[in-house]
Amino acid sequence: MSQESKQDTPFEERTREVLDESASRLDGRTLSRLTQARHAALEQLQRPQRQAWRMFVPAGVAAAAALMLVMWVGGPGERKSPGPGGPSPIEDFELLTDAEAPDFVEDGVDLEFYEWAAGELES
Amino acid sequence: MTAFVTLAGVYNTPIRFQNSGAERSQDQDLMTSRALEQFLASVEKRAFKIAQLGLRNDDDALDAVQDAMMKLVQSYASRDSGEWRPLFYRILANRIHDMQRRRTVRGRFLAWLPARMDDDEEYDPVAEAPSAEPTPARRLEIDEAIGVLETAVAELPPRQQQAFLLRNFEGLDVSETASAMGCSEGSVKTHYFRALETLRARLGEVI
Repeated sequence: MSQESKQDTPFEERTREVLDESASRLDGRTLSRLTQARHAALEQLQRPQRQAWRMFVPAGVAAAAALMLVMWVGGPGERKSPGPGGPSPIEDFELLTDAEAPDFVEDGVDLEFYEWAAGELES
Repeated sequence: MTAFVTLAGVYNTPIRFQNSGAERSQDQDLMTSRALEQFLASVEKRAFKIAQLGLRNDDDALDAVQDAMMKLVQSYASRDSGEWRPLFYRILANRIHDMQRRRTVRGRFLAWLPARMDDDEEYDPVAEAPSAEPTPARRLEIDEAIGVLETAVAELPPRQQQAFLLRNFEGLDVSETASAMGCSEGSVKTHYFRALETLRARLGEVI
């Protein structure tokens, strides 16, 4: 309480008592939500440390992907180059990194359909 | 065994020394976290009442208090703990003011619309009233005093209400109140004096 409370009038003291009484009667739901709010606020103290390394994850993934691409495209020529009309490594890379493309790895994808569609395009 | 103990003693020394900085930092973080938790726990009930009287809505009041807690921890945790109280109430006062202003604008906008308003937008004095459980005479007396005082405080002009609640209820001194309200100490004294006069005129007999 304030240092000036000694000078408070009886009216000021009574109003404070009434308001204190009112605050002490808060219902369980309100008290619980206040506790949750306090914990949520304090959790922020932990977050920056966790986020620090997460910030570098996308950059790391991008760097690794770029390195793989360089090794694949510009590496020693032991690998057969695709024939004319065949998929180039660049196209494969675009396909793998394209978020809009269908996910061939997931279960339930009809691979036969894609094979048929590719055959139709070639014929 | 003796040799092991001796060597262990030698190798332990620099390791302890290396860890001491990180440990000290962790200890500091822990102390700050505990101090903040104690501080927030000590103010949360009164902060809620202040927000409730300013906004007249429990959910809005809880939102305002939570926002103020978040902001204090996010931006001012590293400040000296003595500064937390005026800072916290400054943030809370701003939040309450923003919500009141938004509500006023929304009210003006809704006034142009025909009749229908969402039920939860309206202040329902019956729903907000204390429950009618049978209580001893003394309890009834206090219930009545709480109801009358809170109504009168809620109807004070916003700056008077702020000055009254921060000075009288939260117990901030004039300088801390001025800091929390973002005004001069002279203004705090004026707002507080007027608030007291209004309340005394209205409640003198009841309280």
